[in-house]
Amino acid sequence: MSLRLTRRSLLAGAGAAAAASPFSFSIARSQETPIKIGFPVPLSGPYSSEANDQVRCAQLAIDWFNEGASRKAELVVRDDKLNPGEAATRALELIESDKVDFLCGSLSASVQLSVNQVASKRGVIYNSISQSDTINEASDFTKYTFHEALNPHMTAGAVARYAFKNAKGKKVAYLIADYAYGTEMLRGFRNVAKETGMEEVAEVRHPLGTTDYSTFFPRIQSARPDVLVVVNFGRDQLNTLKQATDFGLKQQMQIVYPVILDTQRFAGGFAPFEDVIGGGNYYWTLEDEHESAKRFNDAYRKKYPDQGVPSAYGALGYAGVYGLLNGVKEAGGAKTDDVIAAMETMKYDAYKGAEYFRKCDHQAVQSVLILKAKAEDKMRDKWDIFEIVDTQPADEQFLRTCEELGHKA
Amino acid sequence: MVERSATAGPPARTRPGGPAAIGAAYDFVDRHRVAIAILFLIVLPWLTPYKALAVNILIYGLFAMGFNLIYGYAGMLSFGHAALFGLGAYGCGIPIAKFGIPWFLALPTGVAVAGLAAVAIGWFATRSRGIYFAMVTLALSQVVYYIVFQMVWLTGGEDGLRGVSVPALDIFGLELSLLDPTAKYYLILIAVALALWLFSRILQSPFGAVLEAIRENEKRAAACGYDVNRTRWAAFILSGLFSGLAGALYAIHLSIVPIETLHYFTSAEVLMMTLLGGMGTFFGPFVGALVYILLQDVVTVVTVHWQLVVGILFVVLILFFPRGIWGSLLHWLRP
Repeated sequence: MSLRLTRRSLLAGAGAAAAASPFSFSIARSQETPIKIGFPVPLSGPYSSEANDQVRCAQLAIDWFNEGASRKAELVVRDDKLNPGEAATRALELIESDKVDFLCGSLSASVQLSVNQVASKRGVIYNSISQSDTINEASDFTKYTFHEALNPHMTAGAVARYAFKNAKGKKVAYLIADYAYGTEMLRGFRNVAKETGMEEVAEVRHPLGTTDYSTFFPRIQSARPDVLVVVNFGRDQLNTLKQATDFGLKQQMQIVYPVILDTQRFAGGFAPFEDVIGGGNYYWTLEDEHESAKRFNDAYRKKYPDQGVPSAYGALGYAGVYGLLNGVKEAGGAKTDDVIAAMETMKYDAYKGAEYFRKCDHQAVQSVLILKAKAEDKMRDKWDIFEIVDTQPADEQFLRTCEELGHKA
Repeated sequence: MVERSATAGPPARTRPGGPAAIGAAYDFVDRHRVAIAILFLIVLPWLTPYKALAVNILIYGLFAMGFNLIYGYAGMLSFGHAALFGLGAYGCGIPIAKFGIPWFLALPTGVAVAGLAAVAIGWFATRSRGIYFAMVTLALSQVVYYIVFQMVWLTGGEDGLRGVSVPALDIFGLELSLLDPTAKYYLILIAVALALWLFSRILQSPFGAVLEAIRENEKRAAACGYDVNRTRWAAFILSGLFSGLAGALYAIHLSIVPIETLHYFTSAEVLMMTLLGGMGTFFGPFVGALVYILLQDVVTVVTVHWQLVVGILFVVLILFFPRGIWGSLLHWLRP
């Protein structure tokens, strides 16, 4: 017998073996191409630490899916450089060249909207993991668009309700980074301020990436607010809080953030953040109440022992990929329309308790945590930086209605 | 041939004792530069990692070519070409996204918008020289950036313009979908090829010669009876039309227009590409765009420290190839 194997004889042999074996089905399936998830995030640039944690966490969701799966999933990571043009090009690469089945990722409003355009025109499901109100609206939403992250409306709403209810007085001032994120968050705070009868005494805007905030503080202090709402992100948050602490603002008013960043808290130490209140999608001590959080944290600790605990933004990388793959599981395959149908109906508990995608805009209905930064003497260990003081439950009443967003009923 | 740029030596001259074959090849390439450039661009998508990248190279190459008319041939360093590129993109994207106009009509609209902007910006800017010209163009392009940024209802503001859809065309029963990467590349290449041909004709025309005369010696050109300011203005407008075409194609390519297209960083990028490829050469800007975009793309996949690697490479290239990659090549081969 000749040992030379041709492709044809090999295939015939495999076919015969498959027909004869009771395990044929799973063997044949395991040789299928993997389910690919394209993951464009800003690995370089100002949000790189958050983005890199998102990659670490997304990989955990892949591991979760692959355990015992016959057809494996695979993550294809690309650097979008926090630039919508680059992100669109990368999305094209992922779809046309890497032939990904799904897309997930991004860490800026404009970047996610551009990836969403490219993906939805080519019929590829995209699960966005960065805050935006616009992506829910009828102008940008398509049936391929999903939004796992919180949106500014629900985040600012939750924080505002808590902060204004517990405020010592009725005066509020705003210090806002002058870009889309700041503007959308401000809108959310103002809505609640109107409902609760808060009086606005000052609105100050600062350019993105400001290093010196001292020029803004006298105006705010002279307005004598009881609550100061600050909306900025990344390094700006730490710089503001350092200088506000030095200026003694905390003795005069409660400082409130829509999103308080664990990454900046770790970078800046406890003093600047002490007593600051802010919102968040996740905090690791959720593991005390949720099995899913425990499972996620443990997987993280095991795979990345040097990294401590997953960050809130990193966790979104996990939840975004988890949502897609949970849809694949429920649909019993990766066919786009089946997965959309499954994701629209499924309830899932990825990392923080039950969530589901609202049918009209595919916004993940989920809880919002209200966090308060701990003083050093109250910390259990070096990772214990926040206290969960309140939780806004997962409920559609905290979202804008489908009609408000322009969706036809 | 009238021009005396790096690409165009007097025909059929061989260096004594020099290899005649190289001289002949040089002449051949020089004489058929448009055809050879197009041939190269036809095979380009098979040389890049993916087709969307090849489209970017094509578009930025065209943009750099338009920029080169002002910078390389007329000797004026514009720092505001992002405005022309970006307005071309918005001028093409807005009619599609907001008014549902088909792309083949929106494309000339984008070019026209950029052209009008070039008329206005050029009118102010070409009255100044040197660093003042650079500053005026930069300032005016920042004005454009700010206006577009604020007109959220029309432009999408910071979120960028979305919804630039290009539905499939039915040409004599043959369906042409721009969602197909290969079809998109070659369709855009048709526009770029026409622009290449036109650009070559402009360079060969008396106008092209006057432009270079002004670059070499403005006073002497004026003494010869040429209206220097008007020639420079006309060159700026032509440059704006090519840049606008590139921008319009960019909007169709990505189906979005990011506000970043208008950012001054885009002006710096196109300058970088032109320098890398070779200023004042016909095909240099395409070579520059190819190297700039391909290098960044490949290095980014390998390391997050791509800026460091790419930066060092650029410094080396500029230090050792001050004429640019294509410019240096032409210089060595020139008989």
